[in-house]
Amino acid sequence: MAEGMDFDSLVARYYEPLYQFAFSLTRDEADACDLVQQSFCIWANKGHQLRDLTKVKTWLFTTLHREFLSACRKRTRFPHVELEHAAGDLPVVTPPSVNQLDTAQVLLALAQLDEVYQAPVALFYLQDYSYNEIASILEVPLGTVKSRLARGLERLHQLLTGEKNTTLKQNNL
Amino acid sequence: MNCDEAKTILLLYRPGTADAEDPDVAEALALAEREGELKEWQVIHCARQAALRGTFHQIAAPAGLKEQIISEQAAQERMRVWRKQVALTAVAAVLLLMAFGSFWYSRPAPEDTLVIYQNQMAGVALRGYAMDVVTNDPATIRAYLAQNHAPADFILPAPLQQAVLAGCAVENWQGVKVAMVCFRTRQAPPEVTSDLWLFIVDRKSVRKSPAGTAPQLSKINRLTTATWTQGDQLYFLGTAGDMQTLQQYL
Repeated sequence: MAEGMDFDSLVARYYEPLYQFAFSLTRDEADACDLVQQSFCIWANKGHQLRDLTKVKTWLFTTLHREFLSACRKRTRFPHVELEHAAGDLPVVTPPSVNQLDTAQVLLALAQLDEVYQAPVALFYLQDYSYNEIASILEVPLGTVKSRLARGLERLHQLLTGEKNTTLKQNNL
Repeated sequence: MNCDEAKTILLLYRPGTADAEDPDVAEALALAEREGELKEWQVIHCARQAALRGTFHQIAAPAGLKEQIISEQAAQERMRVWRKQVALTAVAAVLLLMAFGSFWYSRPAPEDTLVIYQNQMAGVALRGYAMDVVTNDPATIRAYLAQNHAPADFILPAPLQQAVLAGCAVENWQGVKVAMVCFRTRQAPPEVTSDLWLFIVDRKSVRKSPAGTAPQLSKINRLTTATWTQGDQLYFLGTAGDMQTLQQYL
């Protein structure tokens, strides 16, 4: 258990952001709850192995993401859909109405992104993590995080607005 | 840095965070301040980002999730403790059983020691008995004992051979047959049929039997007794009389 923080306090402090991250990945309340609960359960059993207790939050997010990937591997109900193929099914939101987007629309668009973009984009919007922290949570290099974020945000934006942003292509990203 | 490069950088820029401390971001922001078109793009982009961020933050955890996690963990902890206690109890029980079994099988069986044998045979003599054969004929006695699988090839000390035979019986000791040969001493009152008894048993059936043929004298219960071994047999001679009486027959 983190020094000065018992299990109950830890849950009270982090269950909500963890749930937001889990829900943005699964878009299913029950699955998200399971992921959050499983993450805390793993913490209860293995948390004592964490030496740097300032990284509890990162540890929890990393664990949740690992559990999500593990669940994805076990299930077949998360088919990979190429963005180009799915684009026609998505609601196109005109630029002026982007401020009226609701969570369901955004998460639906997020779901159409390649899996490797979903977690970084969710963390980008949810937690105000630094890129280094996102890299640490997702266990990928910093450069990869930036690259995935750039592409993920670009495509999410494209899905939601219908605009074709050429910024990345022009800069070979 | 040109405007397109600045857009690429600002695409990942989140106002109000530490992103602005990055030198590239700072340069891009500075360029946006100078370039009107870039500034306009950045304002729109930031507005969109804020809107998107707002939608993510609208995700609310279901009511009771926190309590469910805490109570579930508490239940698991209780279950873990319970399992641990059960396991410890089981281990303790097994260890106790092993210790008890080890003690039970390694301890000397009290029933097969010489002292117990002597007491039991003295009890037979003192509490009353019925002779299976009443005779003063040694051959008849040996034949009866042999027939009943009791030691019959016993060797009597020379003085004892002079005592008057009264009869015999077969007793039991831990499943082993014991020959009981009854004599009558000269001091015996007329109404007493026998007052000197010799018990013979296989020496292997009694632990801590005396090693030699020299009689060990002792008082067992109300009997004056002598115990010795000869060959494969253990001899136990007892009388209600005193030591002097006993020694007349050794």
